[in-house]
Amino acid sequence: MRQIPIIMPQLGESIAEATIVNIAVSKGDAIDCGQGIIEVETNKAVMEVTPPCAGTVGEITAVEGQSYSVGSVLGYVEVTEEEAERLGLAAAPPAPAADHLADEQGAIDETSGRANSPRPGSAQVQPTVRGLPVPAHASGASYMSPRMKARMAELGLHAADLAGVAGSGAAGRVTIDDFEKFLEGLEHHRVTPASSMRVAVADAMRRSWTRPIAAVAKPVVLDPLLAHRKQAASKPGPALYALRALGIALAENSAPAGRLVGDRIVHPASIDVGFAVEAEDGVLVPVLRNVDASPLAALVDRYNELVELARQRRLPGNATGGSIATVTNFGTFGLTWATPIPLPEQTLVLGLGAGKIVPHWNAEAGRFDPATEANLTLSFDHRVLDGGAAGRLLVRVADLLANPEQL
Amino acid sequence: MITYLEAIREAQAKALADNPHVYIYGQDVGAFGGAFKATKNLAREFPGRVLDAPISEDAIIGSAIGAAIEGMRPIIEMQYADFSTVGFNQVVNHAATLFWRTEVPCPITIRLPSGGTSGSGPFHSQSMEGLYATYPGLIVMTPATVEDAYSMLLEAVNIDDPVIFCEHKYLYYHLKADCLPTEALPVGKARIARTGRDVTVVTYSAMLHECLAMAEELAAEKYEVEVVDLRSIKPLDTDTILASVARTGRLLVVGEAWPWGGVTAEVVARVAAEGFALLDAPPRRLNAKDTPIPYHPNLWGTHRPTAQTIARATRELLRL
Repeated sequence: MRQIPIIMPQLGESIAEATIVNIAVSKGDAIDCGQGIIEVETNKAVMEVTPPCAGTVGEITAVEGQSYSVGSVLGYVEVTEEEAERLGLAAAPPAPAADHLADEQGAIDETSGRANSPRPGSAQVQPTVRGLPVPAHASGASYMSPRMKARMAELGLHAADLAGVAGSGAAGRVTIDDFEKFLEGLEHHRVTPASSMRVAVADAMRRSWTRPIAAVAKPVVLDPLLAHRKQAASKPGPALYALRALGIALAENSAPAGRLVGDRIVHPASIDVGFAVEAEDGVLVPVLRNVDASPLAALVDRYNELVELARQRRLPGNATGGSIATVTNFGTFGLTWATPIPLPEQTLVLGLGAGKIVPHWNAEAGRFDPATEANLTLSFDHRVLDGGAAGRLLVRVADLLANPEQL
Repeated sequence: MITYLEAIREAQAKALADNPHVYIYGQDVGAFGGAFKATKNLAREFPGRVLDAPISEDAIIGSAIGAAIEGMRPIIEMQYADFSTVGFNQVVNHAATLFWRTEVPCPITIRLPSGGTSGSGPFHSQSMEGLYATYPGLIVMTPATVEDAYSMLLEAVNIDDPVIFCEHKYLYYHLKADCLPTEALPVGKARIARTGRDVTVVTYSAMLHECLAMAEELAAEKYEVEVVDLRSIKPLDTDTILASVARTGRLLVVGEAWPWGGVTAEVVARVAAEGFALLDAPPRRLNAKDTPIPYHPNLWGTHRPTAQTIARATRELLRL
């Protein structure tokens, strides 16, 4: 006899686990394939678990009242060797290397010593296909076969486009059939072509998102900056203040703007900082070069010129690319908080939220004074730097903004 | 009803009747009618054209090449495919290269009673098709049906190149058809022996019947297995294989020969190279075990692929 695991099924798209309400059978009972044997409750409904095949109830490891994640082993069905063979459960799928060996040496007994049943009692999670355990090494929800990849390449799609498709294949893998149905379903909607700008941004963001991006934030008081701006002849915008402050901070220590390539950090060659400009259906990032070397007032004309060119989508080739960090002023949309994603070739993006007047406690006078405050955010590639280093950089930028005469 | 073996005899009778240049040469093919009776009564029906040979495969094939150069179309019977190794030099160095060296064709047909039967042991069970297919200049036929045994042997005699005709001994008496065919697919064209959409199983010779039995078994489990019969392994009909894999996305290749290299490896290599973008799972192959062929029937039964082991491999492939 062989022990076939009874597995907590996928009970719904967003269900990760379920609680055992009632176990309707006990060891030794004869059961049928479609028979409900264990009642489980999710936050949506009470449902029944059916065994993977007909047989005799073996040990039930699940305990009433306990929660188990999808794929957990709840117990075992005992089936004959013949039935197990028919279901393909007689021999564990050998590791690829061992498989090769068995092919070549042939004489190895395929059924020996590789029992598929996990040890009773272990609530190990098993990927499933048609309710039966499948080799985890061979498949998985993220596995894309050469055929799938070729079909997607043919249509110009990316793996991220499959995120919305529930796979029906081995271990939740999206099959060609799933994929074609998904495509067919799209035809029932209004479909418009995405602009080339949209596609370019999508591509950049998708590449960027392959990294672990984290964010830190700090509120800054903008009153000194606003006062400084009022007196300035050239009226630099808040984003340019932030850009210049970031440039100075990175000139002092450029390590946070380094890029991780393999096991090496690539340090910036010069302090060139980009800034996000919203253009039609996308974002452009023109660059100011050597911002550590030019005082704020000297940057204003070039900045304004680049903003205008970007809006007209007439940026010359040398006005983009090669920047080591980006500044984005999401406050212009009235937003106070955001976690922007750095460009794929960058480690940092500094964000500036909308200023608003808030009460600040004035300890000397013993009263609240109005102050203009905005959030300063820094999203970073967590592979390159940690919260501490990101925080120190952000604090330095905030200090500079609080002392705009240093810019 | 006509058996696979009788079809081979009938094809030879027709070839002798149709063309005065055809003659049969081999050990005990004359009055005795051949070790398996594949030339039964032919010596009597065609006097002087069905000749007993000495026990020297080297001499048999060598003399046939000479006769072919002089315009004859000899059919040679090796008693067992295994023994053709004794005449190997004549086949691969002389017959296979003759036309390419001299522009003189070498229309010889070498019949190899091939493959295993229960209790035949290591020297009377071998599958040599992969070995001969390695050599340019040879055609290698591996008929799996009574109809193909008949029509392909007739075609072999008509082809101007040397043909290695691998007839499977397991099919000699087991396999029967109602009548001889009147038409056939051209040489080098594979046949879809059973259509299906879930997995392609490519095979040839006696393994076709194990694969068809397996397909029937899996049909009960709602799997639709497509079975491709290669018919000839050289030329190999890559187009039909790729077209089938394009429909199913999965490939299993089954052969009775040993696993090192050979026909199954060739098919997998071609599909991996030319049809990678068609695959939903790694292409797999199933062969006999990599040991000499055992004598004992029980051991022999586990040495070669069977419907059961093919079913297991197919199910695994379907789960990937």
